[in-house]
Amino acid sequence: MSSSRKIQSELMARGARAPRTRALVVCRHQLLVRISHWLTTPLLLGLILSGISIYWASPVYQHNPDQQSGTFDYFAEAGIWICAHIPWLHHYASPADWVYNHISLGPFMLAFALRFHWLCAYLLMLNGLLYLAGLILGGGWRSLLPRLSDARGVPQMARYYLGLPYAMLARRRQTHPVYRTKYNPLQRLAYFTVAVAGFLAVATGWAIHKPAQLSWLAASFGGFDKARVWHFWLMCFFVVFVIPHVVLVIADGWDTLRSMITGWSTRFVRSEVTDHEL
Amino acid sequence: MSSKQNSAELKSARGSALLKKFQGAFSERPAEPIEVEPSMLRRWTRRDLLIFGAGALGTLAVGGSQLPRELFERLGLDPVKVGSDDKWLLNKALQLDDDVATALYSQHHLVPTYSKSQITPLKNNYNGATPDPAYIPEWRLTLDGLSAGLTVSLDIGTLLSHHQIHDQITRLVCVEGWSAIAWWSGLRFDELLHAYPPVSQAKWAHIESSVNLDADGNPDPYFVSIDLLTAQHPQTLLATHLNGKPLTVEHGAPLRLLVPVKLGLKNIKAITRIIYNKVEPPDYWAERGYSRYDGI
Repeated sequence: MSSSRKIQSELMARGARAPRTRALVVCRHQLLVRISHWLTTPLLLGLILSGISIYWASPVYQHNPDQQSGTFDYFAEAGIWICAHIPWLHHYASPADWVYNHISLGPFMLAFALRFHWLCAYLLMLNGLLYLAGLILGGGWRSLLPRLSDARGVPQMARYYLGLPYAMLARRRQTHPVYRTKYNPLQRLAYFTVAVAGFLAVATGWAIHKPAQLSWLAASFGGFDKARVWHFWLMCFFVVFVIPHVVLVIADGWDTLRSMITGWSTRFVRSEVTDHEL
Repeated sequence: MSSKQNSAELKSARGSALLKKFQGAFSERPAEPIEVEPSMLRRWTRRDLLIFGAGALGTLAVGGSQLPRELFERLGLDPVKVGSDDKWLLNKALQLDDDVATALYSQHHLVPTYSKSQITPLKNNYNGATPDPAYIPEWRLTLDGLSAGLTVSLDIGTLLSHHQIHDQITRLVCVEGWSAIAWWSGLRFDELLHAYPPVSQAKWAHIESSVNLDADGNPDPYFVSIDLLTAQHPQTLLATHLNGKPLTVEHGAPLRLLVPVKLGLKNIKAITRIIYNKVEPPDYWAERGYSRYDGI
């Protein structure tokens, strides 16, 4: 520690003409954190696709059967609407299945979808343990903890992102708020919440999988039927998380993506300073 | 006086030091910069990207091999070229899940019961057509695999008059995801086991309904496997009544299984035969890719 600090201060003293033969890097993500991050990608995809196939068998959101089409499922109706309004889909064979054919493994495959869901679910739980182990071994859990200053920082970051499209249109420079921590407050909130949501998704999953033996767990989510609703909306939360997550990583550039693959980041000055605010 | 003040100050100083230490344990640590050769960084990156790519390909291959052929056909891909139809990993996962369910099961854990005001409508969920009620007057329950070595044939009157009738309002949970709270009455399966003991070392009951029909109305006998530990559960009933009235044909008149620790599909309607077995008997839905244990 002290030696690297010394090297750094020497580098800083020498200013812009730092020797080119040396590079300074920090380990941003522990190995187990990186492994579990990438394993989550196919597992979550498999869970969502098979989960919507399971949802098809008995939709949470349904109404009395429609007089004309006989459908009772809002997803089926969305499919019928899409096929009626998109010109090249006018001749789609089964409009009521359009949504399920495109955002799930497909309708009429409950037995397969259940087995696939169990496979991914058990792997996801193991993966969650791997993630926790990585957070503890690498000390990364400290960077995820919400802190009091986030009450100010989260709206600040949100304002920055919300104002960004207008600033770009108006060709006005908008400065990114500077934080000395590993994550900015909005990132911290997002990564902390998604981990909690992962835990809740597993808990609601068990509640609807074993409502008799784990009746206390189902009861803690308001009973079997409400636990299904929770499970459904947690899935939606993951989708809502993933979209800006991917967009922002691409926008942020190679160093951020590389740090989740190799662990190394050359952008360390910002994360190098201790933040003692809690 | 002053020494007291000193000690109080000392205490508060120690307290704030402790608080700082406590806060420090939760606060972020500075990342430690490490000095490397830039070429080393490139080499690491190349190595890690190769490992990453191999991992992604491996995941795709394993995941793809477990997906059903219809999915590839729908995506316009040739399933023969994409991979085999070997579902070993999926079957392993299902087996593991059944083992977990078996381990979770406890004969002493009662499922929640509800009040009459919480009862919800229960639909007729016969997989095929609902049978013609003509079978009901001549209905008999046949018991096989008994320790006495005989086959016993019972009518509903004998069953009702010789056993105590229990009421229970429990939740029926369907594999499809819906559930219904219903008021059931019937005799305990456990009492039938005591009245007509199975062969020694029997671990399974094979329960059949010969009156079940497929969607076109052709005979399609239904059968489930029930482990005897589940059959002995105090809330496992051979139900004769729903909502205080004798079962109608839609709900499996005159006798159905009510096993609230299992999914609805094990709650076989219109039981005509029970055979006790030492080995696990076949199960209608397990043959169609569902779990064989179905414990919830």
